[in-house]
Amino acid sequence: MFNNPIVHRELIGMMRTKKAVAIQVMLVMMFALLLVLRWPAETSDLSGISSMQVFKLFSYGILTAMIFLVPVFPATSVIRERIQGTLALLLNSPMRPIDIYIGKLAGVMIFVFQLLVLSIPSLVACYVMGGIELKGQVLPLYGILILAALQYSTMGLMISCITNSVDGALKMTYGIVLLLSVIVLGPHLFLQATPGMLADVASWIRCISPIPAVMDVVGHGDVGSQGIDSNVDSISRYVILSLSSLVVFVAIPLIRLNQRILDRSRSQGALTHQMSGLIQTLRMVFFLGMDPKKRAPNIPAYLNPVLIKEFRSRRFGRAHWIVRMMVGCLLLSLALIYITTQYTNQWGVETIGGIMVVMQVSLVVLITPSLAAGLISSELEFDSWRLLQMTPLTSFRIITGKILSVAVTIGLIVLASLPGYAVLAAIDNTLTTQIWQVCVCLLMTCILVLSISALISSLFRVTATATIVSFSVIIIIFAGTFLFWMGKGAPFSVDVVETALLFNPLATALTIMNMPGFDPAEFTRLAPSEVWSSSTEDLWSGFRVPLEAIGFTRISLVVSFNWIMTGAISMFCLMLLFFRVRLLTKPQ
Amino acid sequence: MAEQADQLNQDDQTDNEITPSRDKVVVIENLTKKFGEFTAVENLSMTVERGRILGFIGPNGAGKTTTIKILVGLAKPTEGRAIIAGVDCVAEAHRIKKLVGYMPDRFGGYSNMRVREYLDFFGAAFKIPSKERKARIQEVLEITRAVYMQDRYVEALSHGMQQRVGIARTLLHDPEVLIFDEPANGLDPEARIEMRDLILRLADLGKTLIVTSHILPELARICDQIGIISAGKLRAFGTMNEINAQLGQMRMVEIQLNGNADLDRAQEIVKRELTLAEIAGSRTEQLIRFRANITEDSMQDLLNTLITEKIAISQFREVQTDLEDAFLTVTKEDRAKMV
Repeated sequence: MFNNPIVHRELIGMMRTKKAVAIQVMLVMMFALLLVLRWPAETSDLSGISSMQVFKLFSYGILTAMIFLVPVFPATSVIRERIQGTLALLLNSPMRPIDIYIGKLAGVMIFVFQLLVLSIPSLVACYVMGGIELKGQVLPLYGILILAALQYSTMGLMISCITNSVDGALKMTYGIVLLLSVIVLGPHLFLQATPGMLADVASWIRCISPIPAVMDVVGHGDVGSQGIDSNVDSISRYVILSLSSLVVFVAIPLIRLNQRILDRSRSQGALTHQMSGLIQTLRMVFFLGMDPKKRAPNIPAYLNPVLIKEFRSRRFGRAHWIVRMMVGCLLLSLALIYITTQYTNQWGVETIGGIMVVMQVSLVVLITPSLAAGLISSELEFDSWRLLQMTPLTSFRIITGKILSVAVTIGLIVLASLPGYAVLAAIDNTLTTQIWQVCVCLLMTCILVLSISALISSLFRVTATATIVSFSVIIIIFAGTFLFWMGKGAPFSVDVVETALLFNPLATALTIMNMPGFDPAEFTRLAPSEVWSSSTEDLWSGFRVPLEAIGFTRISLVVSFNWIMTGAISMFCLMLLFFRVRLLTKPQ
Repeated sequence: MAEQADQLNQDDQTDNEITPSRDKVVVIENLTKKFGEFTAVENLSMTVERGRILGFIGPNGAGKTTTIKILVGLAKPTEGRAIIAGVDCVAEAHRIKKLVGYMPDRFGGYSNMRVREYLDFFGAAFKIPSKERKARIQEVLEITRAVYMQDRYVEALSHGMQQRVGIARTLLHDPEVLIFDEPANGLDPEARIEMRDLILRLADLGKTLIVTSHILPELARICDQIGIISAGKLRAFGTMNEINAQLGQMRMVEIQLNGNADLDRAQEIVKRELTLAEIAGSRTEQLIRFRANITEDSMQDLLNTLITEKIAISQFREVQTDLEDAFLTVTKEDRAKMV
């Protein structure tokens, strides 16, 4: 394997990148910071509690980094070579496809091993503090991490062999990562207390994610089980399921990685009207009149042409795909409604509401950066920005068209997933205010993720880099801040945890829903509070009359610090974006 | 098309009436562009008249694209000015967009869009009303002979097809001046001939064209004027004959002999009679080839001397110098200066 030239090239190429250096530096700094924070100052602290706390944070931190950063390298590896034409050279060399595959996989895995080696000094320091078992905790943790790295690397390589563009590969990778690591946890949360096979299936599905296995290792196996002792060996299940998935992830690229990968005909762009009458009718019924092979009408003068262009040039931006996505979200929402009505008595409305929020935020966090991170960078990468500059379109019109194209898509998807809340409000009408506040959190999530991703998009000339950086920043905000929450009490005080969570609208939504661990009385800055109120009599008649007509006698303004914080960050990002785009459109 | 033909006729009529200054559609005066210490373009001046084709050539990094970027309002000059159809390219960059159609060296396509949708977007961006836009798209597709590819996906087009769609895009808003950066780059011979015909058709339609290319014989066949730029400086500008005069091009002459017997003696005579730059004799071809700064009279004198000396000559001919020679003269001089 070490004689394989691809291993050398991949590894050296990867190690030379700024992102590889950044990942290593960040990991080492994170480990060092954890140790500095929890290293016992006095001998009386040598109880092992501190080291266990650090070990838990360390485990979740490195798992998060592993899951979200490792697949990025292999996911772009094959497709990039295909686009640059070097894959053809490799396939025409005496190397067999399996050598190419092994070379690429080994390059990534050696890099992962290096990251794990970097973590050993910190872990040894924890071990020295006591309270951690080598055989029972440290070794299983490293085993799970290596297996997860292998699983996600092979998954990345598989995607790289089946996609046609680098940013498409990255988007699909993050989608599958989210599915395999977070979304699979969902069914078990709902079904764990129910009898029958469905609960067993959900329990197995949950173990596709490495998170329950790591939770078992650090002694968090029962978290989220609502006091139900399921007595499930998540580690063994994860090993079985990940090895099974490895077979699929390895087989597909090995089948695809040959000369046929380069042998594809160009689309001739056939349209519906060139097909037979029967097929035309069938297509009209199947696509509900939104046939993608029907010639598109001209862009109307009243619409921003950039908005329409964004939808048309997006793979899933055509009307039929938007409708499909909305139907998918609607079905998901209806399923949640069914589960809500079915299990309200066992779970409580708040818990179900909390799970719904997590699912929706996951959806927004997955889709928005994949759409927004390429808004400007893709134009710069493929030199179409110069063409836009040559049109009379103003920078404001360009940026509003682009932002609206993402906002409309996300808005439609989120709206389609909202009916579940209506059912919650109908079951328990005291929750109406909370549900409205959660909707504000969802709105703030969309705005925050969109503005950050769009800004990042304007700072890079390569969409793949912009996508990776966007996802990394969003993951730090939405998952990284929860690492502080996990260390609540020790090593982090409630104040520190709350400050960290001020950046995270999901934490605010969970606090509003009063989820376990998110007590509004504890997180007072997260929980919305009244900042202004007034009797309707004191208002201007233009406001008073319509408000009194619908039965209001008093109005108040309720605000969470998180909304102010995320609003300010979003505003700042959008302003920077606007200035950046103005700069890009000006003559240099 | 009929409208454009009328326009062309009108242009022909007005050409006779307008003053010479109005006829100059592109005017570049003392243009200089610096990037820090590096001077990309230095004191460049040239003009292009309406309906003319200017071939703008130079080695890589000579300053061609920088000049073009200034002309289309994408870059600001450090000094000097550029005017297109009376509009300043810097002060009124927004007006320039409607006057110029620019095709960069890279296509700049959008994936998942069909050709017609792609053109529709740019038409809408130029605020062409919807009904008019539909007809205009059809028209530009006909001009570029790209109607058959209107429903194909842009990313699935071959390079030659993309170049034609690129030109169709530049024509959408009916600009006065068209600037094509390397339009023949990467095209096969057939596509190159089509591109050449297309550029000539556009000139016939009254468009003023600035074309850069590395394929010099192609350019020499279609251009009315040539601008040679090297190391940021305009080294020669004008028609092919004017370029030769400006560069002090040496004339190349070939003397075909009736055998090799007189070859050495003939070479001696030529060397004796003329101040030569280069002379070479080929026994295989039975030929003497030389380059020199000579007049018609001195050529006649040389021929007389050769005949008097009883050299058996079958042909005495001048080889026409072309754009490649002019280009090589400039680049050789620049390389010599650098050494």
